[in-house]
Amino acid sequence: MSRPLVGFAGMTHLGINSAVAAADWGFETVCFDPDAGIVSELESGKPAMVEPGLPELLRQNRERMTFTTEPMELSRCDVVYISSDVPTDDQGESELSGIRALVDTVTEALGPHAVLVILCQVPPGFTRALALPQERLYYQVETLIFGRAVERAMHPEQFVVGCAAPEQALPPAYGTFLSSFGCPVVPMGYESAELTKIGINCCLVASLTVANTLAELCERVGADWGEMAPALKLDRRIGPHAYLAPGLGLGGGNLERDLATVCRLADAHGSDAGVVRAWLNNSSHRRDWALRALHRGVLAENPRAVIGVLGLAYKENTRSTKNSPSLALIAELQPWRLRVHDPAVPASVAVHPNATECASPLEVARGADALVIMTPWPAFRHLQAHDLARSMTGRTVIDPYHVLNGSAVTAAGLDYFTLGAPPMQGRPQSYPYDA
Amino acid sequence: MMLDHLNEQPLNPTRVVLLGAGGFIGCALGSVLEGAGVEVLPMGSADLDLSTAGAAGRLAAILQPHDAVVMLAALTPDKMRGPEAFFANLRMAENLCGALERVTPAHVVYMSSDAVYPMDTGLISETSCAQPDDLYGTMHLTREMLVRSATEAPVALLRSTLVYGAEDTHNSYGPNRLRRMAHKDGKITLFGEGEETRDHILIDDVATLLMRVLQHRSRGTLNLATGRSISYAELARKVAALFQQPVEIVGTSRQNPITHRHFDVTAIHKAFPTFRFTPLDEGLATAHAGMLR
Repeated sequence: MSRPLVGFAGMTHLGINSAVAAADWGFETVCFDPDAGIVSELESGKPAMVEPGLPELLRQNRERMTFTTEPMELSRCDVVYISSDVPTDDQGESELSGIRALVDTVTEALGPHAVLVILCQVPPGFTRALALPQERLYYQVETLIFGRAVERAMHPEQFVVGCAAPEQALPPAYGTFLSSFGCPVVPMGYESAELTKIGINCCLVASLTVANTLAELCERVGADWGEMAPALKLDRRIGPHAYLAPGLGLGGGNLERDLATVCRLADAHGSDAGVVRAWLNNSSHRRDWALRALHRGVLAENPRAVIGVLGLAYKENTRSTKNSPSLALIAELQPWRLRVHDPAVPASVAVHPNATECASPLEVARGADALVIMTPWPAFRHLQAHDLARSMTGRTVIDPYHVLNGSAVTAAGLDYFTLGAPPMQGRPQSYPYDA
Repeated sequence: MMLDHLNEQPLNPTRVVLLGAGGFIGCALGSVLEGAGVEVLPMGSADLDLSTAGAAGRLAAILQPHDAVVMLAALTPDKMRGPEAFFANLRMAENLCGALERVTPAHVVYMSSDAVYPMDTGLISETSCAQPDDLYGTMHLTREMLVRSATEAPVALLRSTLVYGAEDTHNSYGPNRLRRMAHKDGKITLFGEGEETRDHILIDDVATLLMRVLQHRSRGTLNLATGRSISYAELARKVAALFQQPVEIVGTSRQNPITHRHFDVTAIHKAFPTFRFTPLDEGLATAHAGMLR
């Protein structure tokens, strides 16, 4: 058959990255969003979200992409994805009313033979409950990673597809579209696919929690997780791509959403989710690692300390601050003066009475008693330890993600704290640094 | 529920009714309150025995709606153990609750214990499961629930680890007993080789934290601990070093399994960011000097 026309409804992070990948694989796409502002930004090739490679791909594939606020434009499509991010509440629970409304809008516009695919983060049972003909209704697992969304959308490891009848072939238009990506297509029942998405995230969280748990132990017993992790990855049962980098809990919200879903379903159906709750507890505990390090290293001794905070986004290469460990830390540092910089997020998002926005990472260090690197932006890796030592008033560098070279930092006379390794004391200097 | 503050800025309470005012913590808190110019109504067991019939009515007659009530009164295991102590302690809580049901004060602070957490908890935080191992912990957990359910007033539940200080009236296994052993016998005798780790908090820090809870009219649960645990063997060495004459440290054959207690004190950092714990060495020296005086 001719190449199908593919529609995407909902131009959030998930939608635009999926659409631009489809366009780059040569498919004409119709990108619908009811928000005229978003559509206008995308038409001009300037998306609001930060995502490496996205503006370039938008420019390169502009001719194959139609942006519209008119849902009836989707009526031409052979396949339409519901591709809007699903917001979560404070408890990590999905707010699904917006997705249901979007499904209703799209369904009214859907062509008589078109396939509808739910690409959003929905709980098991959501897809089957939709009042649509099941032979044209599918669920597809999304594995978007903020900061790597384009790469993930362009080159997925697989497509997991939830179907009413997994033993039957996919509709030709949908099958043609998926097969063009050159990766395995794995059909299964709706609920299996919906739970597979959650299962993938549970496995990631399990790995992360192992890393976080043992990293904390490393900090106490003199071991170095940085030395251990490569060895673990060489074990075939663990693997080279395992999520073994310790972090400040689970950021972002999507992993927490799936854990909340598992707890809610397990409670409702009487299965054990104790380990999932333990993961959440560990995440909450590790999120405050930097706060504890600051109190131990600086604040207990210096009530007038100035704290430099590098990074506000919840991770590098994104503007998203949802569940950001940096903002959580800043909220607990109200009595102290802060100096703040993030390459993509303005300091105004930080709720703090005395935070000064700095133009550069090094400017943050100027006069600071402690420097905390809360987001591992690539730009921060260029900081030179001796420049920091010259700029800072104090001697404490807290670098959870190991952005800097700890040995270089201590060689410059600064104390260095990172996840997964014991605190490293700065070496005495044979010459005085200018403060 | 984690601690939150109804008074964002600290504000001294109008009057504090101090139940258990004659005890170790009661005396320390009373001094801090008086030093801050807060009116205090100190109530020891001689003034009002909360375990006796009619105590609820007598307390209710005293309470004013603007009062903060601090409940420190308890029969501790060094004074009495077993079911008798358990039920006497619950009678105290019953009478306190009877008074709180008649008069709703501005604030209630209940001094509980880390005994509400089982010994196999590992790292303890306010979200750890409270599932006591013994009657003493069960008593405190029950009293917490009784107090919370008896009043509409904001309630702060403070679960304290081992408290030490020169004026300690208890003699539980901790810095105070070790110091007294060293002072009296020139020898510190440990359980086993003193492998267990515990968190010890100075009485001054407890009183300061209590004062902040009162000033902020805080409600919820907070563990009172320093976040730095130490083995009894190490503690004994620190205590011994305070004496001019040599102090012998002696182990004994172990009768019970080794247990450990560690606290995650992030909630204290969040509730009272500028609070600074007294380092153990400094606190031990203070307590030692106090004892010698």
